[in-house]
Amino acid sequence: MLEILAQAVINGLLIGGIYALVSIGVTLIFGVVKIVNFAQGEFVMIGMYISFFLATQFGIDPIVSLAVSMPVLFVIGVLIQHFLIRRVLGLNDLPQIFLTFALSLLIVNLSLMLFTANYRTVHTWYSDEAFRVGGLYIPVAKLVAFVLAMILSGALWIFLHTTDLGKAMRAASQNRDVAQLMGINPNRVFAVALGIALALAGAAGSLLMPFYPAYPLVGQVFVLMAFVAVVLGTLGNVIGALIASLLMGVAESLGIQFIGADSGLIVVFMLLLITLALRPSGLAGGRRR
Amino acid sequence: MADALVIKNLNKRFGGLHAVQDVSFTVRENETLALIGPNGAGKTTAFNLITGFYRPDTGSVSAFGREIVGLRPHDVCAFGLARTFQVAKPFGGMTVLANVMTGAFLRDRRPDAAREKAREAIDFVGLSARENAAARDLTSIDQRRLEMARALATQPRLLLLDEVMAGLNPAEIDQAVALVGKLSSRGLTIVIVEHLMRAIMAVAKHIIVLDHGQKIAEGSPKDVVENPEVIRAYLGSGYVHAPAGGTS
Amino acid sequence: MPNVGGWRFVVLGVVIAVMLVLPLVVKSSFAVDILIRVLLFSFIGSAWNLMGGYAKQLSLGHAAFFGLGAYTSTLLQIDFGISPWIGMVAGGFVALLASLPIGWLCFRLRGPYFTIATIATAQVLMLIFLKFRDFAWGAEGTTIPNLGHAPLMMQFETKAPYYYIVLGLLTIALLITARIERSRIGYYCVAIGEDEDAAEAIGVDAPSVKRQIYMISAFLTALAGTFYTQYIYFIDPQTAFNFNISIEAALVSIVGGVGTLWGPVIGTVLLETTSALLQSWLGNSIGGVQLTVYAVILMAVILWRPTGIMGYLAEVYARRRSKSLSLPAKA
Ligand SMILES: Nc1ncnc2c1ncn2[C@@H]1O[C@H](COP(=O)(O)OP(=O)(O)OP(=O)(O)O)[C@@H](O)[C@H]1O
Ligand SMILES: [Mg+2]
Repeated sequence: MLEILAQAVINGLLIGGIYALVSIGVTLIFGVVKIVNFAQGEFVMIGMYISFFLATQFGIDPIVSLAVSMPVLFVIGVLIQHFLIRRVLGLNDLPQIFLTFALSLLIVNLSLMLFTANYRTVHTWYSDEAFRVGGLYIPVAKLVAFVLAMILSGALWIFLHTTDLGKAMRAASQNRDVAQLMGINPNRVFAVALGIALALAGAAGSLLMPFYPAYPLVGQVFVLMAFVAVVLGTLGNVIGALIASLLMGVAESLGIQFIGADSGLIVVFMLLLITLALRPSGLAGGRRR
Repeated sequence: MADALVIKNLNKRFGGLHAVQDVSFTVRENETLALIGPNGAGKTTAFNLITGFYRPDTGSVSAFGREIVGLRPHDVCAFGLARTFQVAKPFGGMTVLANVMTGAFLRDRRPDAAREKAREAIDFVGLSARENAAARDLTSIDQRRLEMARALATQPRLLLLDEVMAGLNPAEIDQAVALVGKLSSRGLTIVIVEHLMRAIMAVAKHIIVLDHGQKIAEGSPKDVVENPEVIRAYLGSGYVHAPAGGTS
Repeated sequence: MPNVGGWRFVVLGVVIAVMLVLPLVVKSSFAVDILIRVLLFSFIGSAWNLMGGYAKQLSLGHAAFFGLGAYTSTLLQIDFGISPWIGMVAGGFVALLASLPIGWLCFRLRGPYFTIATIATAQVLMLIFLKFRDFAWGAEGTTIPNLGHAPLMMQFETKAPYYYIVLGLLTIALLITARIERSRIGYYCVAIGEDEDAAEAIGVDAPSVKRQIYMISAFLTALAGTFYTQYIYFIDPQTAFNFNISIEAALVSIVGGVGTLWGPVIGTVLLETTSALLQSWLGNSIGGVQLTVYAVILMAVILWRPTGIMGYLAEVYARRRSKSLSLPAKA
């Protein structure tokens, strides 16, 4: 019994690392640009397909293809900021919400047209390997993904706390006016924030590929998890998003273990609704002045 | 005269910042009282506390004999206290008339009656010519007029005006001063936050001075202007419209 | 020269007449099917528009109410033999009641997080119906027993009656919308959508107004759920709580123009016509074409015409009027 529990917790933590990459991206964009990116999951999907094609066409290992998916998605992020998001900044909620929502819809359905709804998998030499520690079973692919996810999160934290650009981002996410006083060009900060957030999503995609199938709708699972994690972890807070993501992974895994295979999402949504119910009103996303 | 608004030991902290500190004052019925003080003194916060937008940490606010702390903003308004916002908040997509009708609906849910009341209020602030314009197309000065009309349409007994004269030219200030006088002569009690001493002198016989959240002086305009602590507060903050400076 | 109001009645009269005779003239059942879809989504869009368009509470969870309506009438029909006509109204009230706890949860959030919370509630409902099979047939769903021609059980052998039912529903929704637009609650909704604090400051009880408009919107959406289930003789959680219903409800309103009486109708006509044309041109073979086109249209509207088609028309009209300003407003 204890062993089953421990195993479920480990499974949850491992996948939670991936959720963290997605959540941190959502949080970063929300903090800096004040936009909720409904399409964040779709960039995970793009990352997965990039790794899938590199693996099947050129035999490149998905973990190695991180070196491609991250920069590609960084550029996509900058372009999206420049051509789309910039145009709705300062407008009301409707365009802000539905622009990224439309983007999500577009990417998903374009992928359906291009790639069909079929599941694509990449089988690596370590896909089926696992460590056994005591009675516990730790799949190599998931462990690698988790460790790299933590390294990337740590790198982002260091970036945000040591570089000028990173500090500018933190300032921007605390107070737009302060950032302008410091003479920072907000457009550049926004573009980099989008770029980094998308690169993290792309990294999540590549890291998933050795053990998770790619299909056009795959991003929705991750983006929903990210939204919940971000609400749980207080908006705009990177560490909060990280911890909440790990917790979400564990909650989901416990749900699957003890309630049933398809109940992971129920648990997660219930968690969200319970959090909303218990929180003082208007905390997350509240804009009362 | 009875008391319209009695504020006792009002306190509000934002984290470490004690934005309103033990402030007490009384507004008599049909009086126009000015609340002044340098930037960040806590004037707007006081308004937010009185009108239910913030809940005071401690202290009491009683209006026309009734405790109103804990009421939500719309209840406070229904009780007869209307306010304007320092940064005007028009309903941008609505016409001027629709904006003010929304206020008038508080006292009469029939659209025709509300429209009539709204037109009166619009006429009162001198916006009739722009009645059918979208609120977002108004100049910022007209938007502030609109705020006043909208507040008036709720038929308040007490009106709280937060810097409605900021940015007006001298002629417009004269108009606004006349408007406030007209409201007062109709029997309204008014609390006005304003930086311009000339305007304040013209409308208020009674002034409260806040600085760093504390009430540092109270009295007639003359007393206040000569009060050394007030002068220090204004000079210390490098404030441009020092009250002693008089006319600017 | 007849004044604008007069013209409006003439146009409206012609539209009503055309709508009434349409199924008598159009014989192709494919075409009637499209007409029914257009009316249905105009109706759902109108229901969404009350809350999403006027009060700007941007829900992406209206499938919750559609599904509750569908399941209520179907359960009443199959387990108790109660007519869907009654079930439809019952479903409306179930949705209305459900909107209270859902609203209580979701209205704590503003902006995008409100939207996310509405998605989550609809998803939870779907998962519940998927999970508990002894309660409502689980994931397999059920077919509605076909009674042939049974008007009292909302079953018909031709499509025309369905057409008239949904036309009736849409008419009701439009009448309700027109009435709300002119009344206090309509002004209050728009005010809340524009600036909740400012609305509160002039005496608008924002939570209560939002609750009321959400109840009306939920009630109407549930009616569509019953209708749709009766029309396709089938129900399962994936169809009844389909996310695409939530999406399309919002989409048609945004494209047509949020917070306008005819916006959802115009939006649906545009989107459904495009999608029907695409289908007849490409066939059904490639998945995702329809939503790709919807996404492009949505994005174009947001970037270039955020007020939707109706908003654009209003602008053009206003511009033309201001050119002929010398004319008195009323002829
Ligand atoms: N919601 C809030 N959260 C945190 N701090 C706040 C909040 N509202 C006001 N403050 C702070 O409280 C202090 C008083 O602010 P307030 O707006 O009441 O000043 P004020 O007297 O109206 O100044 P001004 O003349 O500039 O309008 C300021 O330091 C302000 O930064
Ligand atoms: Mg102020």
